[in-house]
Amino acid sequence: MSAEVEEMLKRFQTYKNIAGIIIVDNDGIPIKTTLENTQTVHYAALMQSLVVKARQVVLDLDATNEFTLLRMRTLTHEVILAPSDDFYCIVIQKPSD
Amino acid sequence: MNRILEDVIRKNKPMVERITSENTMGYVVSDNAASAVAESSFDNTSALAIIKHMNGALVGMAQSVIRDLDPTNKLCYLRVATRKFEYLIAPEEVFTITVVQ
Repeated sequence: MSAEVEEMLKRFQTYKNIAGIIIVDNDGIPIKTTLENTQTVHYAALMQSLVVKARQVVLDLDATNEFTLLRMRTLTHEVILAPSDDFYCIVIQKPSD
Repeated sequence: MNRILEDVIRKNKPMVERITSENTMGYVVSDNAASAVAESSFDNTSALAIIKHMNGALVGMAQSVIRDLDPTNKLCYLRVATRKFEYLIAPEEVFTITVVQ
């Protein structure tokens, strides 16, 4: 499994737009990252609470629905948060538009 | 309701019609100060629920997360994708637009 993950990460790094990828497990501990440590930990901690909140919000609005992706576009870049069963993935990219 | 907001809404009527004729399910424009619905294509209860949950909790939290990471940065828009549809949220100074598609 981790060979595929490594391969995917390497592929993503060749895209010029991507500034960083962080994979965080359910406890909020980053398991894989392409950024430096302090930044990674910072991102992971903040996104943890955001993921939980977003999941709750979507469930509140419609109990049959579930939250699949969150994209935040800021002035300087775009952060994509993709939750999954055992982990969630944070991608930071420079917007192409 | 806010006079400025009404003007803005009236000026953007053709744009609103174009957006709603495409694949969207509806939209909500909310007034930030009063946290109330300014304009919506949904019925009032759903619109209010969307505002209360999304705008109040999620947008505020996302904005503070972005500013925490970088104080000069700020949130431009937010897209929440779910299995059934997608919410596009654009917070501004005085109002917030949410489109469901």
